[in-house]
Amino acid sequence: MNRSIGVTLNALGLYGIALVLVAAFAGQIVLGELPCPLCLLQRVLFAILAIGPILNIRFGPNPGHYALSLLAAMVGATVSARQILLHIMPRDPGYGSALLGYHYYTWAFIAFAAAIVLIAIVLLFDDRLPDNKVARPIGLFASGAVWLVIALTAINAASTLLECGFRACPDNPTFYELLKRTP
Amino acid sequence: MEFAVLFLCVLVVMAVSWWGSHRLALALFSIVLVASVATYLHHATDTLNLSFKGNLSF
Repeated sequence: MNRSIGVTLNALGLYGIALVLVAAFAGQIVLGELPCPLCLLQRVLFAILAIGPILNIRFGPNPGHYALSLLAAMVGATVSARQILLHIMPRDPGYGSALLGYHYYTWAFIAFAAAIVLIAIVLLFDDRLPDNKVARPIGLFASGAVWLVIALTAINAASTLLECGFRACPDNPTFYELLKRTP
Repeated sequence: MEFAVLFLCVLVVMAVSWWGSHRLALALFSIVLVASVATYLHHATDTLNLSFKGNLSF
């Protein structure tokens, strides 16, 4: 696998992470369901998951960068598994609305697990991982993916500040603390 | 508020990864990941308001 294919795969990964963040944000805006602390932590970990691909795009695919993503995905899967277990009992309605039969935290667990498997597959087939750590010119497709994820992370930071204000986020938020109104 | 701070920290790591030095990006990544785990552990020790609390029969 050459550098070009590796960068393209990492850009696709970033677009996938962006899709997850957009879906979460759409649920928040359209359905008016504010994210709970564990939900916010899962979003944070999706953003952290994006750092490995950003480094891969800028400096070239590298096993160390994939390892960063694996660590983030492991922590993310742990957090989402905990939230699944909180709502494991029969007749528990879960937190928030379900999308295609699963709640956001279940989809998050699937996404983190899929990330672990996909990264392992990429490492399996990447027999020529350059270790040069030298920045090279980057195409529009890849740089667009990086900018999209950075923008979504910034939007999430602003939204979380609006939701929680300058105090600890409530377990079951129903209004934006800084706006003092329901969504 | 801690989550807004975490998002801002991740934003800084992303910016350093994209524009800054490789070594600094790795160091900041480690700090943010440890902070996330610490935040998780902090919430993991909270008393849980489980939906089935009190409904269990043995």
